[in-house]
Amino acid sequence: MSIDFALQQRRMLLKTSAVGFGHLALTAMLGQEAIAEQKQNISSNPLAPKQPHFPPRAKRIVFLFMKGGPSHVDTFDPKPMLNKHDGTPPPFDLPKVTFAKQGNLLKSPWKFKQRGQCGLPVSELFPHVSKHIDDLCILRSVHGTNPAHGGALLKIHTGSDQFVRPSMGSWITYGLGTENQNLPAFITICPTLAHGGVNNWGTAFLPAYCQGTPIGNASLSAAQAKVKHISNARIDPQLQRKQLDLIAAMNQDLLQETGTNQALEGRLNSFELAYRMQSTMPEVQDISQETSATHASYGIDDPVTEDFGRQCLMARRFLERGVRYVQVTHSDSEVQWDQHGNLYQGHTKNASEVDKPIAGFLEDLKNRGLLEDTLVLWGGEFGRTPTSQGTNGRDHNPHGFTMWMAGAGVKGGYAYGATDDFGYYAIENKMHVNDLHATILHILGIDHERLTYRYASRDFRLTDLAGRVAKDILA
Amino acid sequence: MIRSVSSFLAIAIAFSTANLLSAQEKKADRSTLAIDAGHLEFFEKEVRPLLIKHCYECHGNGEVDGGLAVDYRDGLLQGGDSGVAIIPGKPDESLFIEAIRYKNEDMQMPPDGKISSAEIKVLEKWVAMGSPDPREKSTEGNHKAAMGMSIVEGKQFWSFLPISNPDVPMVKNKDWVKSPIDAFILAKLEEKNLKPAPRAAKTTLIRRVTLDLIGLPPTPQEIDAFVADQTPDAFEKVVERLLDSPQYGVRWGRHWLDVVRYADSNGLDENLAYGNAWRFRDYVINSYNNDKPFDRFLIEQLAGDLLPDSNRETITATGFLVLGAKVLAEPDREKLMMDTIDEQLEAVGKAFLGMSFGCVRCHDHKFDPVKQSDYYALGAIFKGTKTFADSNTGSIKHWHEHSFATPEELKSLKKIDAEIAKKKSAAASFKNKAVVKLRNEARTKATEYLMAASKFDTSTSLRRVDAIAEPLGLHARILHHCRLHLDYHRDDSFFKTWHELNAKQDQQGIEQHYRPLFEEAETAFQTARKKDPKVKKLDDARLEPARAALYDLYGFLEVPAKPEFAFDQKTLSEYYRLMEEARILESNAPDATSVMSVADGTVQRELPVHIRGSHRNLGKPVAREFPEVMRTSTVRPVFRSDQSGRLELARWMASTSHPLTSRVYVNRIWRWHFGAGIVKTTDNFGKIGSQPTHPELLDWLARRFMETGWSTKQMHRLILSSSVYQMQSQTGHGQTSQVDPHKVDPENDLLWEFRIQRLEAEQLRDAVLAVSDRLDISLGGKTVPLRNRQFVFNHTSVDHTKYDSLRRAVYLPVIRNNLYTLFEQFDFPDPTTPTGSRNTTTVAPQALLMLNSPLIMESAEKLAKNLLKQPGDDVEKIRLAYRKTLGRHPSKQESKRALGFIQGISGLAMLNAAKVDPIQKQRAWALLCQALISSNEFIYVR
Repeated sequence: MSIDFALQQRRMLLKTSAVGFGHLALTAMLGQEAIAEQKQNISSNPLAPKQPHFPPRAKRIVFLFMKGGPSHVDTFDPKPMLNKHDGTPPPFDLPKVTFAKQGNLLKSPWKFKQRGQCGLPVSELFPHVSKHIDDLCILRSVHGTNPAHGGALLKIHTGSDQFVRPSMGSWITYGLGTENQNLPAFITICPTLAHGGVNNWGTAFLPAYCQGTPIGNASLSAAQAKVKHISNARIDPQLQRKQLDLIAAMNQDLLQETGTNQALEGRLNSFELAYRMQSTMPEVQDISQETSATHASYGIDDPVTEDFGRQCLMARRFLERGVRYVQVTHSDSEVQWDQHGNLYQGHTKNASEVDKPIAGFLEDLKNRGLLEDTLVLWGGEFGRTPTSQGTNGRDHNPHGFTMWMAGAGVKGGYAYGATDDFGYYAIENKMHVNDLHATILHILGIDHERLTYRYASRDFRLTDLAGRVAKDILA
Repeated sequence: MIRSVSSFLAIAIAFSTANLLSAQEKKADRSTLAIDAGHLEFFEKEVRPLLIKHCYECHGNGEVDGGLAVDYRDGLLQGGDSGVAIIPGKPDESLFIEAIRYKNEDMQMPPDGKISSAEIKVLEKWVAMGSPDPREKSTEGNHKAAMGMSIVEGKQFWSFLPISNPDVPMVKNKDWVKSPIDAFILAKLEEKNLKPAPRAAKTTLIRRVTLDLIGLPPTPQEIDAFVADQTPDAFEKVVERLLDSPQYGVRWGRHWLDVVRYADSNGLDENLAYGNAWRFRDYVINSYNNDKPFDRFLIEQLAGDLLPDSNRETITATGFLVLGAKVLAEPDREKLMMDTIDEQLEAVGKAFLGMSFGCVRCHDHKFDPVKQSDYYALGAIFKGTKTFADSNTGSIKHWHEHSFATPEELKSLKKIDAEIAKKKSAAASFKNKAVVKLRNEARTKATEYLMAASKFDTSTSLRRVDAIAEPLGLHARILHHCRLHLDYHRDDSFFKTWHELNAKQDQQGIEQHYRPLFEEAETAFQTARKKDPKVKKLDDARLEPARAALYDLYGFLEVPAKPEFAFDQKTLSEYYRLMEEARILESNAPDATSVMSVADGTVQRELPVHIRGSHRNLGKPVAREFPEVMRTSTVRPVFRSDQSGRLELARWMASTSHPLTSRVYVNRIWRWHFGAGIVKTTDNFGKIGSQPTHPELLDWLARRFMETGWSTKQMHRLILSSSVYQMQSQTGHGQTSQVDPHKVDPENDLLWEFRIQRLEAEQLRDAVLAVSDRLDISLGGKTVPLRNRQFVFNHTSVDHTKYDSLRRAVYLPVIRNNLYTLFEQFDFPDPTTPTGSRNTTTVAPQALLMLNSPLIMESAEKLAKNLLKQPGDDVEKIRLAYRKTLGRHPSKQESKRALGFIQGISGLAMLNAAKVDPIQKQRAWALLCQALISSNEFIYVR
């Protein structure tokens, strides 16, 4: 069979089938020269890259998710009034519903210092990240609706804390497709299975190809994290190749009998893609190919930072290969950042685990020119109360908290919005989670009101009926 | 800066336009004339700019969020969904003012932050002066028109029309008509000059019907018997055999479990085990096996607890209402109740009526003739129903259950609970003791820690700290923490000396200063304690800081909280062992006999409309009622005053005059047989749903269904005996008719051939186990390996759920938030929403599963072993392999190819060995079997 003929055959199959990691595209089989043609062929492959609504600032996004809720008043949102009124009852009304009983005001155990050219304050918890402050856009007025972990995780990932809805990554995949057809469009590394679990990377009613692909989960170390069934220890690859040829021959026979059939042809192709993925995925995950300097800059040479460092480095390798949405989760066998007590010890430990890896990750993205068109998002499902819980803890606070962005299209060294004097409520330029989502989509070139999917008699959106783009943060 | 300039411009423009308008429209504008000039000036100068700046983006220029427009006078006076916005002269009673004051946390405007207090004062003053306002509604204002169908229009919509009694149509090809169904299908085909596909081969038919009715492939013996049976009713006999098999309920019960979003755990926020859901699952399977009339089946699931003959079975049935995913840790109880009711209404609507009620919570339906008042009329019925128990575990609420436990049972459970508690506390106390030991050790080496801490700085990696700690017999993590602690507590006067000496790198000095201090303090403390064990502090002001530092649990010698960080390997594995012991004991412990169920609560005769779905914004109350468009009687229903109303609702839904119930259900049966419904959107019979391809057939089937006493099995008999069901699939290029059906009807909506269907997740898994003789077909019982309300995985993300059971797939746990991989990849429906029609997607991870998963590989190995045990040569064995997996004999060519494959792989080994290695031979056969199981022919039903 001549190469041309083989190409043609495969193209035909491609046109009539809809399969893939999501759905199949044979870009790699066709070779790079065929990519342009691929791009025009959107209808045949739902995961092919799609035109956004307007020129995007970012082509891809990575979410560094801090599970449990880091305290904003101890990290990026200093409150001198807390020091002043430490130990006194809060001089403002508490919300009608709080997660636990609220105590008196509690000052931050950490000092804040002005950093970088911009002079924005960051606490001692993030000595490495703070070196990048001139690239960070600190969102100080994020607020959600749900004061419990489960609801808040679902809210931040899906926009809804009431119903099962498609996750942000699924919406983005649905809207933009992906750049590398040999890898999943949407990857979540070591996600937590608790508090919403798979719903946080699920598609709900969106097509299955929008589903996030988990690599490991929070109970596994990053070194152990793998895609399910990606390898076969029992069968030598040579034998498996022979077996695949046999399956292909059987399937061809059936096609002879039935004539053209999209489903049957698609399934035939899916085996070929699976076979190739078996080598692609482990290769991307294999960080041993990186230099020891890179390992050191991510903190992979230190047990404290190794795990999160590995996750971040893997994320970079996925991002540079065209994966559209990557999430990295900082979660351990407890609810990582959930310091209802022992604020000082807990937050110290947590920050020390992520600080260096995040700084190394930002540096690396920058050096490789990836930061220009990658949006980095950092944050938890909510912040923590300026009031105390017990003697040395803080409760959940969805009413005002901090997340930050870096990279593509956002202003660096910039603080947006504000909480009140004590850090309980967002008051200025309030940014609801729906607004955050609208803004993220905007940065990716998507109008959040036009990215819709009709299901059960109505058009759904990531932002439901709300969402305002925070244009002030755009560079 | 730019922003403020442009808004200034906008104000200026709006101002001048307004002047223009008011000038032009002076004749018509009574109010403008009536407005005092000073007031008008105040409005134009002070008020209008504020409204434009803060409100128009969402409530002006055609935008009417929340139904409220503030860009003309009457917009504010009429108000929005929450009611009148302004009461002129009464700022304190005006919602508009309440919202901008930001005091009510549920109504705060503008949403991105409170406006300045000066601005608030302006608006308060304006309302107080009677809100003088010259603005008229702009004529070209594109305010969104009312959407949706009216009730009158709705009554004419096909699915709300009474079920007709259509005549069986006349057709030309009478020979083909074996059942009236055939006539309905054929009539449409003949209209388009299409011919139905020929009858399928007997081997195809028996595979199709067996997988369809019991979800398993036929055995070679069953195939042979059917092929040999030449009697005219041979196929009917097969159907009867299958309908009599208890495996029928396993397959068809699972269809219904899709519709009722069955799961063994809550999912959503807190994933607690539904340890008693299996009783509902078994109820469904039994109901199918017993052919329970569907009207009764419906009534039991909605109101089994209220039936006059209510019993354990009917109460179990109401689990339907409790199975939904709930936000169990939602702190706002009222919100939780309304969210739960919403979930229930959505499930009831979709499952039985093909209607989506969920979107009517906030406003009238945008497409269907269902009004918000209908929603809250139904809501009242469910508000009077208890779905939650009064108990809870911490912040996690308990769903309602009905206990059937005997006193003896409860007594024995107390014992088991005590044992579990004992195991748990054994683990906890082991951990505590180990931590105390570490603390004590660290305390005795306090000086060594301070000295070692001086050998590195805070940025030193833990690996290097470990190299310092190890030779000194110190704990690396404690030492690392100690260094960080010292740095963060520079202000602590006790460590002032350390910092001074550290600056000089004087470790000896550190020792000379701190060792005597620690020793003295320790001795003094022990002495004091001997006198009084309760003593907490030393009176000596010099020694007390040393004591405090040594004994501060979170001080410089803090032991890491994570066991992995604190303990050595041996201690850690012992701790894990104890934890695991407790977990296993708990997981396997029995629960009190109890069923998930609802009960009546406080009867709600009416429920207020919740404006925009908010439970904190209540409107006009509505009384219990059935949705208006579906009512078949003009007489208002009578609801018992002492019951929730579920029984009346259920009976109304199950009545023969209801336009939807029977249509929706027979359409489901049709979908499950043919792979597509007469109405393709099985769960949506509304305007956005698809139209029926054969509306007369649908009504005929619905009528026939009710005439035969709502019997599901009778419907099977009727459908399966038709020529339609027995057609070939994939006849494509073999069509004899002159018209190409692919062009006329590419989607095969008219059913000119049978649809090829991929096996569903459970069929695939059970078929793999069945052909390798591994399947265990026993029925019923608890199978989820968790105790009721036990966390599936709380914060740990460790999923202990195993799927290695060899029982039928319906008995595998359905864990929300973490479905069994095979289920997830092969389109098992989302178990949080009712699903009548599963998707079929083809993705590469499915192929990975077929190639690499233990389930498939082990089954292939078992099948290979079984084949090798059989007498006969390799060709004979290959024939058996094909018969077992594909239900047919291989062709000569196929047989030759398979043989070549076996010999090729065994031969690889022969190069290195004198004879064929039996292990290599078995491996070759296993690879062949795996290929057969992975082939399209195995996974598709033709």
